[in-house]
Amino acid sequence: MSGLPIVGFVGLSAALLAVGIFGILTRRNFILLLIAIEIAMNAGILNFVYFAAYTGGTAGLTGQAIAVVLVGFAATEVAVGLAIVLALNRLRGSINVAEATELRR
Amino acid sequence: MILEELAFLALAVVALATALLALLVRELVHTILWIAVFFVDLSAIYFLLEAPFLGVLQLGVYAGAVTVLLLFGIMVTRKRIFSREATTGIGAVPLALALVTFIFVIASVGEFSAGATVHAYDPTYLSQNLFNVNGPWLLLLGLIMLGAVGGAIYLVREGRE
Amino acid sequence: MVSLADLFGYAFLVPLLMVLSFVIVGLAGTRLKRFEWGGWLAVGFAGAALVVGVLIAAAELMDPSRYTNVQFTWFHLPAAPGVFPNGFSLVAGTLVDPISALMLLVVTVVGFLVMLYSIGYMHHDHGLPRYYAELSLFLAAMSGLVIANNLFEFFLFWELVGVCSYFLIGFYYEKPSASSAAKEAFLVTRVGDVMFLLGIFIYFYYYATTGPSGGWAANGFVFVRGTTPFLAGAMGGQSTVLTVAGIMILGGAAGKSAQFPLHVWLPDAMEGPTTVSALIHAATMVAAGVYLLAVTSLFIGFTSTDQLAIVAVGGFTTFFAATMAVVHPDIKRVIAYSTISQLGYMVLAVGAGFAMVGLFHLFTHAFFKALLFLAAGSVIHAVGTQDLFKMGGLRKSMRVTAAAFAIGGLALAGIPPFAGFWSKDDVLSAVYSQLPSHPAYWPFFVLAVAAVFLTAYYIFRAWFLAFSGDKPRDPTLPHAHEGPWVMQVPLVVLSAFAVGAGLFIFWPNFQGLLLHGAGAAGIPPVYGPADLALSATSVFLGVAGIGLAWALWGHGKVFVLADSSPVQPLRRLLLNRYYFKVGFDWIGAKGVYTVARAADFVDRFVIDGTVHGFERMFAELSDRLRRIQTGVVSDYAAYVVAGLIAVFVLLLFVAPYLVAKFGGG
Repeated sequence: MSGLPIVGFVGLSAALLAVGIFGILTRRNFILLLIAIEIAMNAGILNFVYFAAYTGGTAGLTGQAIAVVLVGFAATEVAVGLAIVLALNRLRGSINVAEATELRR
Repeated sequence: MILEELAFLALAVVALATALLALLVRELVHTILWIAVFFVDLSAIYFLLEAPFLGVLQLGVYAGAVTVLLLFGIMVTRKRIFSREATTGIGAVPLALALVTFIFVIASVGEFSAGATVHAYDPTYLSQNLFNVNGPWLLLLGLIMLGAVGGAIYLVREGRE
Repeated sequence: MVSLADLFGYAFLVPLLMVLSFVIVGLAGTRLKRFEWGGWLAVGFAGAALVVGVLIAAAELMDPSRYTNVQFTWFHLPAAPGVFPNGFSLVAGTLVDPISALMLLVVTVVGFLVMLYSIGYMHHDHGLPRYYAELSLFLAAMSGLVIANNLFEFFLFWELVGVCSYFLIGFYYEKPSASSAAKEAFLVTRVGDVMFLLGIFIYFYYYATTGPSGGWAANGFVFVRGTTPFLAGAMGGQSTVLTVAGIMILGGAAGKSAQFPLHVWLPDAMEGPTTVSALIHAATMVAAGVYLLAVTSLFIGFTSTDQLAIVAVGGFTTFFAATMAVVHPDIKRVIAYSTISQLGYMVLAVGAGFAMVGLFHLFTHAFFKALLFLAAGSVIHAVGTQDLFKMGGLRKSMRVTAAAFAIGGLALAGIPPFAGFWSKDDVLSAVYSQLPSHPAYWPFFVLAVAAVFLTAYYIFRAWFLAFSGDKPRDPTLPHAHEGPWVMQVPLVVLSAFAVGAGLFIFWPNFQGLLLHGAGAAGIPPVYGPADLALSATSVFLGVAGIGLAWALWGHGKVFVLADSSPVQPLRRLLLNRYYFKVGFDWIGAKGVYTVARAADFVDRFVIDGTVHGFERMFAELSDRLRRIQTGVVSDYAAYVVAGLIAVFVLLLFVAPYLVAKFGGG
């Protein structure tokens, strides 16, 4: 199997990262924020997977192993994020991050 | 291998489109639908890259668990499920930051060759790598996840105002 | 069979016992409603220390040739070329040799007797736990000082006795005069302490780096008896650096022993309880300066320039302090001036090269001066005033005290066979023996001889004023009576010492002690009335002084100097202590105040200005920076992304540019 353009993959993950960053910066709904974070995270995981595929050998296996770990991390992160969503919702009745400005004080 | 290249192109376009749609549609439930499609699409890309284990993992964890979790989050935080978000401006600065990041990332990896061999791995070896070579790190991951879950429970427990 | 000499390794027990007393009395004493047994506890500890001290002194007297050094090394710096060519050790330990055994005897005997006396004298005072704890700490520090086996340890205890002196002078801290006297004593001795420290530094520098006796530094500057003192052996007694070091040591000793010109603090130190004056400011702490000079001259050595300076300071102080005692109306201050004067004799002897003669005078002086102070304390305790002109006729109601004061006075005046005669005569004949080879000593010798007359006069002036006559001149004084037995016993014991301590010189073992104490210094001490004419002169002067005092003040007479008398200005000069205190105050008020004003200006405008400038700058900056703290997560995320882009810019553009310009690597 060969011939898949690596530049295409890099471009795809870079574009996904940009989309994720854009979402993180603009979305005010906490759940959308989480989704944007997931998109950026998946861009990173995609990086590990295709570089692993191109590298070969045990080093490539390590890339895939890291990807597995990262998937686990991402799932954990969503769980914690949702816990924050619930706490925020109960505390303020809204999950708009623009209104949660306690950090300023 | 023109077929694979075409498949990749199609999948990449779908991934980008669904990611953007997920962030831009104003109805949150639709967002969940689009993001589910995005996850499945990425899973297909992993299969294309000869990483079936990760593909399955992506399907199970992301397209399955995470999507349901997000949907659940929406359900408990809204009175009406199908309500629309207030429109949010695109914003020049975030757009610029995102674009600049994109350009820089591309620029920094520009020297890679156009195409290369894709190696297939037997998932058996992957599991060996995961549990033998990187076993301690996996254990550490488990501890961190345990801590995170503990923290999550602490955040949402009753009687905390 | 355990021999007495085995005790030498246990000399540390003396300071240890007193530290225990300090801790127990100090901590437990404040919990008691009535401080009855606390004082007795301190007396008990002092008694135990006395037993150890006497046993050690006895063992040393049995075999005066021995000395025992017990030490452990705290740390050792190996030899390093250019820094410590010989290496350097810091050790802690005890050295029991003839001179430290002698001093230990003085400290423990006088310490115990003063503790006992305090039970009666301090009975009505408040803050007794503090008093006994501080007195115990002082005794611990003083005994530690005399058995210290190296200069650094010596300095540590030296500072400790200084701070105890400060505490005890200021014991009646509610009295402004007492607290200011404590401060004065502390600050004036501090001048000496700084000089002492500088002297140590110079010795350290000299012996640890360039000096020929570098092995001494490697051994931790322990006082060891070589064939000669280091200086005499190494430099032939001439070295500018070591002359300066010797002057610094003299400065330290002058501060502690209240020698001219640092004498001003000792008369004011009489603000403390009389017991403290007897122990600290007569018998022990002020003698530490003399002890320091003796130790330095025996183990390190002074250059001839130093010796002349020491003789000059000692001889001049002897006369100078005696003149001030002549006119003073305060019984304690008269004795204080006499202490300064007598310390001058000791310094004089050490400076002339007879350290052991000086220490012999220290030994006898400690007893008769403590006796004088305790007798004066007994008087003050009975009549409640220190003004001699209000007293009178106390001989009838206070027979023991009157006799004790008279014995102390006779000893001080140098009338044979009392203790002071033998030691003072030793000092004078020792200096006299050096006059042919050192004609520069002549004026100071003459001053010291003249002071004998003044000494006899002023101490018997005080005795006649206080004890002779029919009744007190101030009729409002309470009826005097002797103190309790705890106050009389020390008087009797010290009287015995004041009579007999000088006769020790005829005891061969004591002679041996002094001989071996001098040991390495190579100059044997002088015994007895070596020069009969000189002895006769000093006795004649002493008797003449007593006679003059009797003629002027005997039988309750009061000698009043006419206002028109030509010596009236001299009297005023003496009463005002040669305007020394005024002069120091003027220096403090004008000189220091001007410097302080300048410092204040610099502090306010230059330093504070800079500080406030920075403060305003950062306040302004932070006021602007805080606006980016919106609290919105998205904004923070934007900063993160901006930072990420900055990293990219650095990696992709700045780094390659720098590498191209300055070369990779």
